[in-house]
Amino acid sequence: MVSFIAGLLDATVQAATVLLLAGMGELISERAGVLNLGVEGMMLVGALGGFITTVLTGSHWLGFGVGILLGMVLALVHAFLCITLKSNQVISGVMLTLLGTGLTTFFGSGWVEESIDGFPQMTLPFVGQYLVDIPVIGEAFFRSTATDYLALGLLVVVWYFLYHSNLGLEMIAVGEDPEMADTMGVSVFRLRYLAVLIGGGFAGAAGAHLSLAFSQLWVPGMTAGRGWIAVALVIFAQWRPRRMLVGAYLFGLLDALRIRSQSISLTVGPDAPLAGVINPIVEFLMNPQIMGTYPYLATILVLAYAVIRTKSDQLAVPSALLQSYSRETD
Amino acid sequence: MSEHTTLRMEGILKEFPGVVANDHIDLSVERGEIHGLLGENGAGKSTLMKVLYGLYSQDDGDIYLDGERLDLESPQDAIDAGIGMVHQHFMLIPRLTVAENVVLGEREPATAFRSDAEGSWLPATVRNNSLVQSLAGQFSLGLDVPEQRIQDLADQYGFDIDVSAKIWELDVGQQQRVEILKALYRDVDLLILDEPTAVLTPTEAERLFDSLERLTDEGLSIIFITHKLTEVDAIVDRVTVLREGQNVGTAAVSSVSRADLAEMMVGREVLFDIDREAVDLGDPVLRARGVKATDNRDIEALSGIDLTVRQGEIVGIAGVSGNGQKELAEVMAGIRDVTAGELLVNGEDITGAKPKTFVDSGVSFVPEDRLQYGCAEDLSVMHNATMKDFRDGRFGDRPFLDYGELREYAETLVEEFDVRGVSDVTETNAGDLSGGNLQKLILAREIYRDPDLLIANQPTRGVDVGAIEFIRETLLEQRKAGTGIILLSEDLDEIFDLSDRILVVYEGEFVYETTPAEADRERIGLEMTGGDGDDETVASPPQSGVTQEGES
Repeated sequence: MVSFIAGLLDATVQAATVLLLAGMGELISERAGVLNLGVEGMMLVGALGGFITTVLTGSHWLGFGVGILLGMVLALVHAFLCITLKSNQVISGVMLTLLGTGLTTFFGSGWVEESIDGFPQMTLPFVGQYLVDIPVIGEAFFRSTATDYLALGLLVVVWYFLYHSNLGLEMIAVGEDPEMADTMGVSVFRLRYLAVLIGGGFAGAAGAHLSLAFSQLWVPGMTAGRGWIAVALVIFAQWRPRRMLVGAYLFGLLDALRIRSQSISLTVGPDAPLAGVINPIVEFLMNPQIMGTYPYLATILVLAYAVIRTKSDQLAVPSALLQSYSRETD
Repeated sequence: MSEHTTLRMEGILKEFPGVVANDHIDLSVERGEIHGLLGENGAGKSTLMKVLYGLYSQDDGDIYLDGERLDLESPQDAIDAGIGMVHQHFMLIPRLTVAENVVLGEREPATAFRSDAEGSWLPATVRNNSLVQSLAGQFSLGLDVPEQRIQDLADQYGFDIDVSAKIWELDVGQQQRVEILKALYRDVDLLILDEPTAVLTPTEAERLFDSLERLTDEGLSIIFITHKLTEVDAIVDRVTVLREGQNVGTAAVSSVSRADLAEMMVGREVLFDIDREAVDLGDPVLRARGVKATDNRDIEALSGIDLTVRQGEIVGIAGVSGNGQKELAEVMAGIRDVTAGELLVNGEDITGAKPKTFVDSGVSFVPEDRLQYGCAEDLSVMHNATMKDFRDGRFGDRPFLDYGELREYAETLVEEFDVRGVSDVTETNAGDLSGGNLQKLILAREIYRDPDLLIANQPTRGVDVGAIEFIRETLLEQRKAGTGIILLSEDLDEIFDLSDRILVVYEGEFVYETTPAEADRERIGLEMTGGDGDDETVASPPQSGVTQEGES
C-alpha cells in the first residue's frame, strides 16, 4: 500500500509539473487579455524540438532551451494574428494547436525510435538526502528532475512578477482595460506581445519537460490533451498563480490515478448488499476514459461556484480577455 | 499670440469615415487660465482633446506647447510633455486599488530602490545607477511612498478617498476624484478635464473649483470641457465654443452672456425657464416602509427608508453621492434585494420579487450608469428600444418575434424622442450613440411603455444643453400624464426646477423634507453634509445609531 501511494505521488508530481508549466504560461497570456488555445500545439513543438536537439547534441539542457524557443516561435504567430491583425483569438489558437500537431507528426515520425539521456532524477543539494527519507512523500517530492524544481521556482517568480512588479501591474491593466492602460502611457501592443511570448515559452518548456524528463522519448501526439487541461487549469485557478499550484497537483493526481485505475479495485464483493448497483457505478467512475474528464468537471464546478458566490464585478476572468485593441476605434 | 500663450492648436483636422469631427479648429490657451471648451455632444470637443492627448492623430494641423511643436504619437508623449487628461468615461480598473490605478505606468520602484528613499539598505550610488533604476522600475513595485503621496494630494484637495480601497468599492463621485488624482499625481502643466463636475454635488464642485483655482495660481493651465453654462460663469476665464466640428468663437467669459453662449452652442435660442403646470396628485403608486438594503460590500446603505410617491408627483432626492442614492434607486427598481421593510407598487406588495415583476407592475428605471446598466452597448438601437417590451404580444406571436414590428416601434421612439446619430435602427449599436442621445433612447424606452412609477437616477448627467432641456420637459410631460417620478440628481437646480417635493438623503436616511417653494438652499446643503439643523421640518427625525459605515 505504501509503495502504491509513493508511486502514485511520484506520478502526480511528474504530471503536475507539465500542467504547472503550461498553465503558468497560459495564465500570463490571459491576464494580459490574450487567450491562447494553442497550448497543445506549442507543447508538441517544444517536446519534439527539445527531443531532437537532445538526440543530436546530447545535452538535455540545450534541448530544454530549444523547446522553449520553439514554443515562443509558435506563440509569435498567435501574437501577430491576434494583436497586430486583431483577428479572433479562439480561431487563431485552435489553428495553432492543429498546426503544431500536424507539423510534429510529420517531422517527428523519424525520431520515434530514438532514445536519449534525459533529465535524471536528483535530490536537492545539502538537505536533499535527508528530505528523501521522509516516509511516503520523500521520494516523490524530493527525488525529482531539475525541471520539477524549476517549475515550482518559476511559480514563485510568476506570482511575484504579476503582483509585485510594474510590468505585472501593467500586464494586468492591459488585460482589464486596454484603453485605460493606453491613456496611462502603457504600451498595450508591447505588453501583450511580451505576455503571449512568455506564454509560448512556458508551453514549450512544458512540452520539453514531457519528452526530456517525464517520458524520455518522443511519440507523436504525446501531450494527449494536457494542453487543454492547462487551459482548464487557468480557469480552475481563477487566474491566480497560488491557486494554480493546488489545481496543478489536484489535476496531476487525477491523471496519475487515471493511469493506475486498472490496478485499483474499489468494487465490493459479489455477496455484499447492493453489489449489483454499486459495482457498475464504481466501474463507470473508475473507467480511464471517464476519469480523463475529471479535470474538466472540476473546472466546470469551480466556474459555477465562482459565478454563484462572487458578485459580477469581482469575477476573476480578465475583463478584456478576447478583446483586441486599437486606439482610433471607440 | 501673446507671450502668455502656453498651448496653441492650429488648424486641427480630424476626419472619421463619413464625418469631419474637427474641421480646422484653432485653439489657444494661456498659462494659468481655466479655458472652457463648450459645445453640444458630438460637437468635436472630446475628439479635439483626444488629439491633444495623443490618442488620436490629426489629419492636418499642428500643436505647440510653450512654443515647441509637439509630435504626439501616444498618450505617453502627451504625459511626457506635461499634459494630463481626466476622461469623461472613467478610465479606472475596478479590480485594482486606488493607488494601483494612480501609479499605473509611472514605474514606481520598490521603496529600497527609490532614489529619494531615506535609510535604504542600498547605497545611493547603486540606487542612482540608471540601469538599476530601469530594472527596478520594471521588475519591482513599491506602493508605500506613492500611497502616501496620493493621500497627501487627496487631503490637500479635500478628496475623501481611501487609497488602498478597490475602485469597485467606490461610488461614482469618488471614482471621479481618483481620476483627478491620477492627473495631479503626474505633476501636469496642462490639465484637460472632460466634464469633471458631472458627478459632484454643488458643495463638492465648489471645493473642486477652489482646488482648480489654487492649481492655476501655481501656473497650471486647465482646459475645462463642460455643458453647464453655470460652471462657465463660475470658474472659466475664457471660453471657446465648438459646434459641428468648428470653432464658433472664443471669448472672455466676462464679455458674453449665458444666453449668447447657449445660442452659439446650439445655433438657436434656448429656453431656460421650465413651465411647470400644477398637476393634481392621485393615488400613491409607490409606498416604501422601513426599507433597508446593503451596498456592494454588504455594508448597510439604506437604513430604514419611508417613501410615498403619488400619481403625478415628482419627488426629488438630493444628497452627496454615496449616501445611498444608488441603492435607493436600485431597490425601488427591483434590481437590488431589500434586507428589511416592504415595497408596495400600486398597492400590491412586491417586496423581494424579481425585476421582471417590477417591470410588469409598471416600474420604469433610468439608471445612473447608462453604458453599463442602461443599455446593451453592442446590440442595435432596435434591440435596446424593445428590450423591456418584446414579450408583451405586440411584436408577434410567441415564441416568434416580428422584426418588422420591432423595427417600426424602435423607429417611432427614435423619431419622437429625437435620438440623433441613428442611421438605421438595426445597424447602429446603442454604444455608438453619444451620451445625450443614448440617454434619450433609454428614456424613450422607459417612458413609451407608459409607466406608473419612473425612477430616474441622474437623468441629465453629462448630456448637452439641448438634450437636458428635452429630458426635463419629457419628465414634466410624464408627470402630467399621471406617472409618479422619483428623481435622483446631484444637480440641485434640476431638483428645484422639477420636483414637487424634495427629500435630502444622508447616510442612508431621509433627514430633511421640503418643497421647492419653501426650500432654503443653504439648509439643504447643510443637511446633505450631515450638518445639524433644527428639527422642525425633518420628515423622519434622525434615529440614534445612524450607521457611519455608509462612507469609507
